[in-house]
Amino acid sequence: MTDTAVRPAPTQARPARRRSPRRAGDLTSYAVLGALALVVIFPLIWMLLTSVKTDADAVRNPYALPDPPSLEAYQTLLLSGQQPIFLWLWNSFAAATLQTVLILVTASMAAYALARLEFAGRNIVFGLIIATLLVPPVVFLIPNYLLVENFGWLDSILAITVPGAASAFGVFFLRQFFLGIPPEIEEAARIDGAGDFRIFFQVALPLARPALATLAVLSFLGNWNDFLWPVYVLLSPENMTLQPGLAMLQGAFRTHFGIVMAGAAIASIPVLILFAFAQRQIVDSVAGAAVKG
Amino acid sequence: MTTRLSRGLGLGVAAALAVSLSACGASDSSEGGVSGEDYDGPAVEVTFWHGWTGGAAPTIVPKLIDKFNAEHENITVKNVPQEWADINSKMPLAVKAGKGPDVAVLHGDDLATYAAQNLLQPADEIIEGLGYSEGDFPPDVFEMGDFRDAQYAVPWSVTPLGLFANKDVMKKADLTEVPTDRQGYLDALEKLKAAGVQGEWVDGYVFTGTFEFQSLLWQFGGDLYNDDVTEATFNSEAGVEALTWMTDLVDKGYSPKNVAQDGNIKALLAGDTAFNWNGVWQTTNTAFGDLDWAAAPVPQIGDEKAVWSSSTHWVFPANKGQSADETSAAATFVKWMNDNSAGWAETGELPAANTVREDPTILEKYPNLEPFMEQLDYAHYETVSPGINEANALITTAINEALTGKKTPQAALDDAKAKADAIIEQNQQKYGD
Amino acid sequence: MAIDLAATTAVPADRIVGRPGGRGRRPAARRRRTLIAYLFLAPFLALFVTFVIVPAVFGVWISLTNWSPFRDSQDFIGLKNYLDLFTAGSTTSADFWNSMRATGLFVVLSVPFLVVVPLFIAVLLNRKLRGATFFRTVFFAPYVLGVAIVGVIWSYVFDTQSGILNHLLGLFGLPSDTPWVVDTPWVWVSLVGVTVWWTAGLNTVIFLAGLKGINTDLYEAAALDGAGAARTFFSVTLPGLRPVMIFITTTTILASANMFGQSFLLTNGGPGNETRTAIMYIADQGLSQNNMAPASAMSYVLFAFLAIISVVNFRLQRERSEKAAS
Repeated sequence: MTDTAVRPAPTQARPARRRSPRRAGDLTSYAVLGALALVVIFPLIWMLLTSVKTDADAVRNPYALPDPPSLEAYQTLLLSGQQPIFLWLWNSFAAATLQTVLILVTASMAAYALARLEFAGRNIVFGLIIATLLVPPVVFLIPNYLLVENFGWLDSILAITVPGAASAFGVFFLRQFFLGIPPEIEEAARIDGAGDFRIFFQVALPLARPALATLAVLSFLGNWNDFLWPVYVLLSPENMTLQPGLAMLQGAFRTHFGIVMAGAAIASIPVLILFAFAQRQIVDSVAGAAVKG
Repeated sequence: MTTRLSRGLGLGVAAALAVSLSACGASDSSEGGVSGEDYDGPAVEVTFWHGWTGGAAPTIVPKLIDKFNAEHENITVKNVPQEWADINSKMPLAVKAGKGPDVAVLHGDDLATYAAQNLLQPADEIIEGLGYSEGDFPPDVFEMGDFRDAQYAVPWSVTPLGLFANKDVMKKADLTEVPTDRQGYLDALEKLKAAGVQGEWVDGYVFTGTFEFQSLLWQFGGDLYNDDVTEATFNSEAGVEALTWMTDLVDKGYSPKNVAQDGNIKALLAGDTAFNWNGVWQTTNTAFGDLDWAAAPVPQIGDEKAVWSSSTHWVFPANKGQSADETSAAATFVKWMNDNSAGWAETGELPAANTVREDPTILEKYPNLEPFMEQLDYAHYETVSPGINEANALITTAINEALTGKKTPQAALDDAKAKADAIIEQNQQKYGD
Repeated sequence: MAIDLAATTAVPADRIVGRPGGRGRRPAARRRRTLIAYLFLAPFLALFVTFVIVPAVFGVWISLTNWSPFRDSQDFIGLKNYLDLFTAGSTTSADFWNSMRATGLFVVLSVPFLVVVPLFIAVLLNRKLRGATFFRTVFFAPYVLGVAIVGVIWSYVFDTQSGILNHLLGLFGLPSDTPWVVDTPWVWVSLVGVTVWWTAGLNTVIFLAGLKGINTDLYEAAALDGAGAARTFFSVTLPGLRPVMIFITTTTILASANMFGQSFLLTNGGPGNETRTAIMYIADQGLSQNNMAPASAMSYVLFAFLAIISVVNFRLQRERSEKAAS
C-alpha cells in the first residue's frame, strides 16, 4: 500500500481534483504541519546540542549554545565502560529479533490451524486466546516473574523474549488474514495431493507475506519499547536492553545533563537512521494492520 | 533452610580466615594491618554490586578494582554499579534466585531488612579477622550491622549532611561568614532576600529534603521512631517544628515553591541561591569547577546539635547455591579494600574506620571534608529495623505534601504516621520478630 | 496482492473450509485431522499455556495467599487481599485507589488528545500535499525511539530551572518557572503532552490509512450538495472512519490505562504519589516491596475495571455504527 492517490476497490481511477480556491488552505496546512513538525524535531535537536557541552557548561548554562562545544560527555560515557550503551542497543536488537521470530513461527502455524483446519475444540481454543487480549499485562507480571526465576532465566535474554512470544494478537491478526484467502488455491493444491503441512508452507505462508511483514514490524516495535518487564528481570548492566539501561543512566547522572543527553543521543541516532531507511515499510505495516485487522 | 546454609558458609569462611590470620589488633596500617593468607583456592569471579555512580566514584572504584585484580591471580572482581534504589528493588529477589552478587555495599538502613530475610551471611568471623570492634568506628555505626545477636556487615564509610555555600552569592548580601545557628541563619536569609536572592531552596525529595527534615527533627529533640521501632514518632511537636521550619522557608520567601529534584544543588551551582543542605558526596561534584564555594556544618536551628548521616557497609549475600570459594574470595577483597581505603576520601565519603579517617594526610588532601568530620560526634544514623524504608517513604510524602501546600505540616505528618504505623505492623508480621 | 480483505469479518469461519462432506466423516480421519491441527498449534500452545494460562491461574492463587518469596510454604488466606483493597485503613486500599484514580485521570485526560490531534493531522495530511510522506515520517519517528529515550529527553526539557521550555516561555513573556514535572496540575499536562508527542504519530498513520479507504464518490456527492468543510467532515469523513475509530479508541484507552514509563521517568509518581499509576504501584508492591499477594489481587481488580470499560466502549461504538448503517 502506497500513499499516492490509489483507492482500493470499488472506486477506480478518478483524476485528482484541483481545488484552486483551496490554495490559501494549503498554505495554512503547511504552516500547521510545519509547526507541529518543529515541535517533534526540536527536543531532539536540543538533546544533540546539550550533548556536546562540557559538564560544567551543561549544568551552569543550560539555555545557551555549547560554549565551548566538546565531546567530553561522549568520552565519559563511552570510555567509562559502566554505561555500555552500544551493548544495550545490541541487546535490544537481538531480543526484539528473537521474539519476533518466535511470534511469527508460532502464531502463523496456530492461526492457520484455527482458520483452515477443522478439529475438536477449535472454538474453545480460539475463544480462550481471544479472551486473553483484554487482560492487562500487569496481571502476568508477578506470576511470570516467579516462573522465569524458577527456570533460571533471570537476567538473560530468554526472560525478555520467551514469555511474550505467545502473541494472542498475532494469532488473531493472521487468522483474519488466512480466512480471507480464497480457498480455491488451497483446494487446487489439495487435489494435487498435498497434505496440510505442505499447503501451509508452500501455499498459505507465501501468500501471507504482507501480513507476516506487518506482524513482524509490530512485534519488533513492541519488544523494543518494552520497559516495565525488562526493568525487573534484567539485573546486570551488560544484559540490559536499551530502555531500562537508559533509565539507569538517567538515574546515575541525574544532574549531569550533558552526559544524559549524550546517552540519549547515542541511543537514538542508530534507531532513527534505521527508521529513515525502513520507514515506508514500517509505517505502511502499522497502517495496514489497523485498517485491515 | 537458608539460615543453616548461610551459617554453615559463614563458618566455612571463618575457618578459612581463622587458620590464616595471626593475632589481629586494631587495623593499624603502619603495621601492615591484618596479616595472613589471602584466598587460596581455584580461580573465581566475585560479583560486586554497589551504588557509587556519582561524583568521583565512577573513576576511582574501577581503578581500585583493577589494582586488586592485578594483585590477585585467582580472584577477579566484577564491578556492577547501579542506582542504590535499583539495588534495593532487585537484590532481594536476585539473591533468592541465586543471581545476586557475592559481595555488595548497602546502606545502614537496609541491613536489618536483608538480614531478616536471611539474605546475608553473618560476618562475625570476618570482622574478628579484620580485628574490628565497636570502638573503631564513630558512635552507633558498628551496631547498625547487628541483627538478632549476629553481625552482618563491615562498616565502610559514613556520609553526613552539611551546609554548602556559594560565596559569590553570599557577597551579594555582604555576608562573609557562613551562619552557624538559628538566628545567624535567619539573619543571613533575610539579608539575601533583601538583595533579591532566595537563600535556601528546600525540596520535598529524599535527596535532600528528607535528610534536612530528619536533621531538624533531631535538633528539636525528636526522633523518627520509638526505641523498639514499634511506632512512628515523627509527628511529635519536634517533628512539626522541623517541618514548619522548612515550609516557613517557602512562606517567608527564602525558597521557591515546587523545587524540582536536585533543583537546589543546581541553583547553588548556577548562582541562584546561597545555601544548600547536601551530603558530603557533593564535595566531589565536578560541576563546582572554579566556583567560590565552601562547606560547613549544618547550622544548629534547634536546641541540640544533630545532623543526618548515612553509612555504607560491606555485606556478603547468601545467594541460593552460594559458593564458599566466592564468599571467601569476597572476604579477601573486603579486607584488601579496608587496607587500601585511604584514597576513598577522594570519592567524597568519609572512611568509617577511625584510624583511617583521622589520618591527618586526608585533611591535607581534602580540606573540604573537615566540617563533615566535625559533625560525626553528633551525627544520627538511619533506623535499623526490617522493612523500615517502606515506612520511611511516607516521611518524604509528608514533606512533599507540606511543601507543595497540600497539607499543613501537622496534618501531613499525622497522616504519614498513621500509615507508617500500619506498615511497621505489617513488617513485624512479614519479617517475624 | 489484490486480495480485498474488507469482507473478511463478514465470512463465518466454518464455511471457509471447502471440503466436501465437512463434518461427519469417518472418525479415524477426523482424529487424524485433529491431531494435525494440534501439531500446528503445539508451539504456540506450549508458550501460551506456560506463560499466559498458567500465570493467570497462578496469579489468582497468589492473590488468595500471603505469598512471600522468602518463605518455603505459603498460607491460604482466602479473599483477604481483595477485601483489604475495599477496606478503608488497610495498608493497601488508600494507596491502591489513589493509583487507580491516577490511572483513570490519565486515561480521561490523554485519550481525547490522542484521538483528536492525530485525526486532525491525518486530515491535513490527506489533502494531497507535497511532502505528506515526509511529515508522516517525522510524526511517527518518536514512537520508534522508545519510552526511555523519550522520557529522558523530556525530563530535561521540562526541568523547572534548566529546561529549555521554561526558558522559551520566558522569552515570550510567559511564566518561566512552571514546575512541569514537579507539581499538580502541571504534571498532568506534561504526562499527557509527552504521551501525545511520543505516540500521536502512530494513531495519525492509522487514521490516514482509514481516510484513504473512504469512497471519494461520497466527497463528490457532498460537494455537489453544497456541503462546506465542516459538514463534509461530520457526514462523510467521520462515519467513514467508524471501524478505525473503534480500533483506535479501544487501543488508546488500553494503552493509557497501562501507562508506566512516562510516570516512572518524568515524575516518578510525584508529587507525593499523585501520578503513581496503578501499574507503577502494583509493580512496586509486587516486585520491590515483595508484597506479591496484595499486588496480584490489585492486578485482578484492575483487569476487572478494564474489561468492563472495554466491553462498554465496544458495545457503544457497535451500537452507533449499527444505528448509522440502518
